[in-house]
Amino acid sequence: MSRNTISRRRALQQVALLLGGAISAPTVAGVFSTATRRAWAASPAWAPRTLSAAQLELVATLAEHIVPQTETPGARAAGVHRFVDTLLTDHYPAAERDRFLTGLAGVDAQAQSHYGKRFAESAAAQQVALLRELDAAAYAATRGEDAWFFRRMKELTLVGYYTSEIGAMQELRVSPFGTYRGDIPYTSIGRAWA
Amino acid sequence: MITYDAIVIGSGITGGWAAKELTEKGLATLVIERGRNVEHRKDYITEHKPSWELPLRNARLAVGTRGAEEYPIQARTGQFHESVKHFFIKDHRNPYIEDKPFTWIQGDQVGGKSLIWGRQVYRWSDLDFEANLRDGHGVDWPIRYADVAPWYSYVERFIGVSGEKLGLPQLPDGEFQPPMEMNAGEKFVKAGLERAFPDRRFTIGRVAILTQPLNDRLPCHYCGPCERGCSTGSYFSSQASTLPAARATGRLTIVPDSVVHSLIYDAAKSRVTGVRVVDTTTKQTREYSGRLVFLCASTLATTRVLLNSKSPSFPNGLANSSGVLGHYLMDHHFRAGASGTIEGLLDHYYQGNRPNGIYVPRFRNLGDEASRRGDYVRGFGYQGGASRQNWARGAGEPGFGVELKRKLHDPGRWTMGMTGFGECLPRADNHVELAEQTDEFGIPVLRIHCTWGENELAMRKDMAASAAEMLEAAGCKDVRTNDAYREGGLGAEPGLGIHEMGTARMGRDPRTSVLNGHNQAHDVPNLFVTDGACMASSSCVNPSITYMALTARACDYAVAESKRGNL
Repeated sequence: MSRNTISRRRALQQVALLLGGAISAPTVAGVFSTATRRAWAASPAWAPRTLSAAQLELVATLAEHIVPQTETPGARAAGVHRFVDTLLTDHYPAAERDRFLTGLAGVDAQAQSHYGKRFAESAAAQQVALLRELDAAAYAATRGEDAWFFRRMKELTLVGYYTSEIGAMQELRVSPFGTYRGDIPYTSIGRAWA
Repeated sequence: MITYDAIVIGSGITGGWAAKELTEKGLATLVIERGRNVEHRKDYITEHKPSWELPLRNARLAVGTRGAEEYPIQARTGQFHESVKHFFIKDHRNPYIEDKPFTWIQGDQVGGKSLIWGRQVYRWSDLDFEANLRDGHGVDWPIRYADVAPWYSYVERFIGVSGEKLGLPQLPDGEFQPPMEMNAGEKFVKAGLERAFPDRRFTIGRVAILTQPLNDRLPCHYCGPCERGCSTGSYFSSQASTLPAARATGRLTIVPDSVVHSLIYDAAKSRVTGVRVVDTTTKQTREYSGRLVFLCASTLATTRVLLNSKSPSFPNGLANSSGVLGHYLMDHHFRAGASGTIEGLLDHYYQGNRPNGIYVPRFRNLGDEASRRGDYVRGFGYQGGASRQNWARGAGEPGFGVELKRKLHDPGRWTMGMTGFGECLPRADNHVELAEQTDEFGIPVLRIHCTWGENELAMRKDMAASAAEMLEAAGCKDVRTNDAYREGGLGAEPGLGIHEMGTARMGRDPRTSVLNGHNQAHDVPNLFVTDGACMASSSCVNPSITYMALTARACDYAVAESKRGNL
């Protein structure tokens, strides 16, 4: 358990003390119970509901390039690809889901035309080179359909990563409960709140 | 059949207050609620859930998304997120017809919208109560600030309001707990704005959230999303505040899952004698008998009940001898303002999720020549706030990989935004009526006709332009105006402010109003309407605390009149 997890637990315990037990024990315990923690982790039984295995791997590969592992885990470890599958299945209207899937296929098509291989099978340097092209095109003054896909992919990666336990608690910080301080030195925190 | 001393229809902000006041004054009171029961604490199923425990990470469920399939209307509001959808009505349970876009946001549970409201509370002043008389729009209010002021104090002491006293005549001070703190960006804008415009003030929001303990409720712990429910009772809701007080008297009965069909009227006595409800589970009809009825079902639901309570004495709806029932519908128009960035202050940050923003009180048309506008009457206030950009900014800028991750490790620059909340004039052609179509409970649905008029549209231009002018004068950069209104479309349509009011207005003359100065129906002495339906004008400030004060005041009057044998 990381230091940040501990500080979150401490914060919750402080709130529970403040409440004199008003927050039910399960509410506090639920955040940290073994069962809950297991539920957060990828279950061996987990399977995508919209993406194929190849599409899932493509999403995971793209996401990891966007937010890679550094001294903290990256998008793949944070399960961004599982989050994307959940959104595509349970949130997106059919037309938007299909637009995203078409965009994914477009990445593979570009990798094929550039390198003669699908994206996930291309060399890492080739993948990065193609992403540089996509990223430049996505923020150019005149933009096409590729731009929509890449910006959306980047947005989903950031949401999926920074709202995950890894992204929020290891890479960034979760604001502790208790007080509000409106004006503190940034150096006293040292990184952004999730 | 039991005859209750009083029947209260609705358990939200005003229903809860009526229940508390009437039971504390000794009346055996029945509260009828159309929605399901929601128990304080136990039923706050998403409270304190970290983002990663929400499968969609608390996505906004916009119109068209899968999670919004049963909520095509509720999904129009930006408040409608994964974590709170269970506190909004499924639209098939409350269908209506909109001639032009009108967004009707409803709760469907004990506590109503008090669980999910915005919690901003501002007193009206005589600038508001005298507005109709002064410019001739609408009918004169039968009351003035002095009539309501003690009730504002009474309500504030019970619900707990934090805020800063300003001594402004147009925004009277109240009984405040210590204000929440502004952040560095807001302090910067405040200093610059008040320097450039000495007649304007920039203050922290006055909010029904505790900064000190109050009875058994604890001060805010700044977790952030109040609307998921608060186990510490730190913001005012029926669950945390009024219903426990009513329950403690031993005189409260609540029946959930019961939608009111109509009121039962006895022409011989000129009194309502009871309420006809439809059980939302079994669809069976039941009746309850009561000596006094308080309609607190929310503005449009209340008027719908009255319109559907037809009898030979009142063929056009109960208490509608004037014919104005259903007319003069209002809402606050908003989503017109400006935003900008603040240079520097990068060594400043904040800690905790403050569920509150800043407020700029009205500064237009205050009665003096300096503040007078030639292009519109009445005025607006601003709500907004400053913050540092978070990780989400990464999606709007080029770059990826280690470089992007390093950048998002730190917060971005400061941004500041403000949106106006503008007064809406009472106009007869903004109205609701019963349609032929009935809902699944056999109750005729409302047809709603409501548009913004020339006055609102002219005011919006100033709302955007003045926000930009102030932000620029305060030293902000990259200032841009915004206005989400699209004629005939969605974005800033009537109803979206969720401050819908009017349609059973108070007034001095029974020929032109439904209610008298005590929220009592002119035509039916034992019938009171104390939710937003009673409003004769809209002011520009958030209305809930005025509804609460009027409710407490009406209860006091009703019980006194009852004791005198006048009801």
